[in-house]
Amino acid sequence: MAFLLRRLAFYLAAFIAAATVNFFLPRVMPGDPIQIMFGSANANLTVENLNALRLTFGFIDAPIWQQYLTYLQSIFTGDLGRSIRYFPAPVSEILGRATIWTVGLVGIATILAFIVGTGLGIFAAWKRGTRADTAISLLAIFTTAVPAVVISLLALFIFAYQLRWFPSGYAYNPLLDPALSWTYISSVIYHGTLPMVTMFIVLLGGFAITMRNNMINLLGEDYIVMGRAKGLSENRVMFWYAARNALLPTVSNLAIALGTVVGGSLITEVVFNYPGLGNVLYQAILARDYPVIQGQLLIMTAAMLIANFLVDVSYVLLDPRLKKA
Amino acid sequence: MSAPVLSVRNLSIDYVGEDSDFHAVKDVSFDIAKGEFFGLAGESGCGKSTIAFAIARLHQPSALIRRGEILVEGRNVLDLDKKALEKFRWTEVAMVFQSAMNSLNPVLTIEAQFHDVLKTHLGLSREQSRKRAEELLALVDIPAERLKSFPHQCSGGMRQRIVIAICLALNPKLLIMDEPTTALDVVVQREILQRIDVLRKELGFSILFITHDLGLMAQVCDRIGVMLEGELVEVGDARQIHTAPTHPYTKKLWASMPRLRGAQIGGEASL
Amino acid sequence: MKQLLVGLSKNKKAVIGLSILVIILLVAIFAPLLTPYGASARVGRPHQPPSWEHWFGTTRIGRDVWTQMIYGARTSLAVGFGAGLMITVIGTVLGIIAGYMRGKVDEVINFFTNMILVIPNLPLLLVLAAFIGQASPLVIALILGFTSWAWGVRVTRAQTLSVREKDFVKSAEMLGEPKWRIMTFEIFPNLISIVGINFIGSVIFAVITEATLEFLGLGDPNAVSWGIMLYNAQNASALTVGAWWDMLAPCFALALLGLSLALINFAIDEVANPRLRTGSRLNRWKMLVRTGEGRI
Repeated sequence: MAFLLRRLAFYLAAFIAAATVNFFLPRVMPGDPIQIMFGSANANLTVENLNALRLTFGFIDAPIWQQYLTYLQSIFTGDLGRSIRYFPAPVSEILGRATIWTVGLVGIATILAFIVGTGLGIFAAWKRGTRADTAISLLAIFTTAVPAVVISLLALFIFAYQLRWFPSGYAYNPLLDPALSWTYISSVIYHGTLPMVTMFIVLLGGFAITMRNNMINLLGEDYIVMGRAKGLSENRVMFWYAARNALLPTVSNLAIALGTVVGGSLITEVVFNYPGLGNVLYQAILARDYPVIQGQLLIMTAAMLIANFLVDVSYVLLDPRLKKA
Repeated sequence: MSAPVLSVRNLSIDYVGEDSDFHAVKDVSFDIAKGEFFGLAGESGCGKSTIAFAIARLHQPSALIRRGEILVEGRNVLDLDKKALEKFRWTEVAMVFQSAMNSLNPVLTIEAQFHDVLKTHLGLSREQSRKRAEELLALVDIPAERLKSFPHQCSGGMRQRIVIAICLALNPKLLIMDEPTTALDVVVQREILQRIDVLRKELGFSILFITHDLGLMAQVCDRIGVMLEGELVEVGDARQIHTAPTHPYTKKLWASMPRLRGAQIGGEASL
Repeated sequence: MKQLLVGLSKNKKAVIGLSILVIILLVAIFAPLLTPYGASARVGRPHQPPSWEHWFGTTRIGRDVWTQMIYGARTSLAVGFGAGLMITVIGTVLGIIAGYMRGKVDEVINFFTNMILVIPNLPLLLVLAAFIGQASPLVIALILGFTSWAWGVRVTRAQTLSVREKDFVKSAEMLGEPKWRIMTFEIFPNLISIVGINFIGSVIFAVITEATLEFLGLGDPNAVSWGIMLYNAQNASALTVGAWWDMLAPCFALALLGLSLALINFAIDEVANPRLRTGSRLNRWKMLVRTGEGRI
């Protein structure tokens, strides 16, 4: 319990650090920070509107620490400002809508990739030195070494443009209205499959190679030899003696791997024109819509911290040595 | 004398390299009789652990058995297929490993580690396993509450006694101990060896005891074999190996033991 | 060090990976000899498919794709190795200091390292690059170098913690060697494989990230690089209009470079960690088992 509380405090600090980056960046750039932040504003923005925005981002006539506190206060009350491009849409609303798509797409792809990748890693480690191991290792090296953007573009080229098996964009047929109907749901599945499979492939190799190497490192341990000496079945030793222990370092690596997940999802969404956070961010970058870009960093940091916390919890559940602490 | 429990016949084991082989065990033969406490001594790397692992066919690539037979109760272990091998392990030969701290699975409770053996070999239910595990733990003086613990909650000496209790779960005919006490302090080491000796006399199993510590071996073993660079250079009575070694290497081994220690053992031998 | 190099020269993965890398390097160096065109010159009609004059076709504005690709290799290699070196140096120095000094110094370094690790890297880079505007490859390399060392600190620190307990370090301490000497001459040489893995991994990361940032429109559109090629192809809707060569050429280049580096990295891991080494060493063992010359 103390362990998890310590982690929570740490994550809060990390979140504030990300917010601090947001706060200082426009201020350390050469030029007028207000001009930088809101320079690309469109004509809809009245003086009152602009003043409200300035307040949100802490551009007030006060010493810098007061500006900073004002900004932090905005963030912790959930006010991320308004989009410049789609004024007056609040950033939190734009991001909220996109988050649903991203969480669905990335969540499922990550969980599947973790299960399948870890399974392949277990198998490769157990059969180390065989052809199966070589094939899995090479596949894993290949998918981790090729940039996500390249994998996504190739998938798009082959399956959407050449074979025409899948659509080349959108989360569902734009002619449909969202509803709980089979037509709508099947359209969502049809549109989501290719980006999800791509995301899955991007992540698969990393999970497989991590598990393989962690497990091979353990195979010489006495408790595994003892498991075999006990005459237990191969499956029992493979899963409950070797893999179960190798899972611990793998899960703690998972926390770092989540960064790749976030990055990979950005790219996949842009390439497949999928209306998730990545695509929103891409549009915001093109329009230099800074409030949205900054809000994005906070949302993604928050998502990553939550995921990290879930990893911590599962680590505590997996490792009996941490339980009594 | 009845048929030996273990009979190693002309055993040769190589570690296969990229272009040449390392001969780890060279034409070794020895027997262990029923109820006998047999010691195999030698420096690290002399091949004694390789033999121990080969007896339960636990050796890993690149170890390769080039020649010879390993007979347990007259049956050649090398002829067993996968199923028969799983059945053979632990029911006939159980093993205590070098590192006391590390031979129990850290993520399973002690109870689960008894249960998987008892279930696999005897088909016992959880309930039955627990009862049997309690009896076994009692043999090594460990309270039954420990079944609920994880290995990290037990001391090193306690863990090694638990391993021994697990070893006895199926009444094996042979117990192999590969440097079982090197990671433990001298007091605990002595306690454990004495306990094993008592259990051996009670339950009637044989022991293959492997260590580099010839002095310790002379205290507990009936017979001792001395290995040098893969060859078994001398086999004899513990007393003979101690008082009248014939092979020059055995003499050298004794000479290299610290004086003080030698004197102590002499004193104890007469007890 | 020598051992590592000898091991690598015998490792099939390392040899293949290194060969590909050397070829890419040579192509980048001798780019002007391998093409009659200038990197940014308009030399043909837009979106010409591959032909004898234009091996990999032309772009939307009539640049030669092959020329762009081989000149772009210079940028990718420079950014990759430049940023990779920076990341590795910072990561190694901080990692060794944290692992060897321990105490307060370690706590501070470790705290910041962990914090950077939980802030998602790509969105952070995007925010930085967005404020900078159109970032040149050099600027991208600098940003990457300053923000991406955390993973290196973590692995180097972990390794240092185990090396510092070794006898030769203890004896150097007994002899009263100064701390910086111990860190440089006793600890660092023993971390060489982890530093190598960190370096190659960082190069891969930098190459991928540079291309990604540029693809997303944060790079300098006048630069000649694989990321900018992707960006231009995307803007020209190359796939939609059927000009696949425009998009696939930089994809192929990035995949090839990534693959060669990953093979090298995997090989270092295998050579440094004997447990992971499984391939050729066991071939003879397998053969002997198959021919019945021994039993398992």
